[in-house]
Amino acid sequence: MAVTVKLAPIVTLDAADRIVGVASAAESQFGPLVGSVLWECFPGSEPLFKPYYDRARRSVEPVDFVQFYDGIIARVHATPRDEGRLELAWEQLARLDTTTLETLSDSLSEALGQLDAKRDDGLRDELRRTLRVIEGGA
Amino acid sequence: MSSHAVSTLRHAASGAYVVLDDDDRITHVSALLHDDLGHRAGHVLWDHLPGARDVYEPTLEEARSTGRPVESVVFYAGRVKRLTAIPGPDGLAVHVERLGELDLTSLATLTRSLARIEDALGRRASERSDSPARASLRALL
Repeated sequence: MAVTVKLAPIVTLDAADRIVGVASAAESQFGPLVGSVLWECFPGSEPLFKPYYDRARRSVEPVDFVQFYDGIIARVHATPRDEGRLELAWEQLARLDTTTLETLSDSLSEALGQLDAKRDDGLRDELRRTLRVIEGGA
Repeated sequence: MSSHAVSTLRHAASGAYVVLDDDDRITHVSALLHDDLGHRAGHVLWDHLPGARDVYEPTLEEARSTGRPVESVVFYAGRVKRLTAIPGPDGLAVHVERLGELDLTSLATLTRSLARIEDALGRRASERSDSPARASLRALL
């Protein structure tokens, strides 16, 4: 049985996805971004994450999901709060190592293993489709 | 190889290059690489490129042992590059031309960039025998 570990909030967004709060442990990385809209700080991330955040706000229920962004696979936990605010927490599950083809291959395999363990069939299948492109010489 | 021939070859190759001594120490960095590697002059190349030695060294060693220019396509640090190693009286010039780069933003961009790299390697392979980088990419899974 999969065990879900509670994650501590790292970043708080307002209703416009602006960063309005940062945990002290993440201050060095996210502190300078307070006041900025999340999507402007992390290009290309909006279509990957915003649908989940919108769902959390609409349902007023926490949403837990696994996503790939910037070479990292992470489990993200979004908790809706008052006035459209959203608390975000995450843990890194795997990171692609692009140093060499060997490390890329190894880290892809590790990422698939992590997704297997998390039973995230959607992202796992998407990752496998990505790898089939390589196999097929597209 | 004459100095004139070496000079001609070097001018024909990518303008991004370093010159290495026999111990793989950087003795010269071209203007195009100066921002990235200028401060590494005097250092051994491998000291600042983790994992690169196994990827680059076969090309460098072949050029040194044959005394002739050697070209290869390699994958390192998320990029596919054409290496041209040209031995000369001042050392081994290693020219680098970037052919493609992985885009890790999302799985979609990763897939597209892998396809572009495959295309680049495919075009290259149609000109020459299959490159080690392409064969390795195919063997990823």
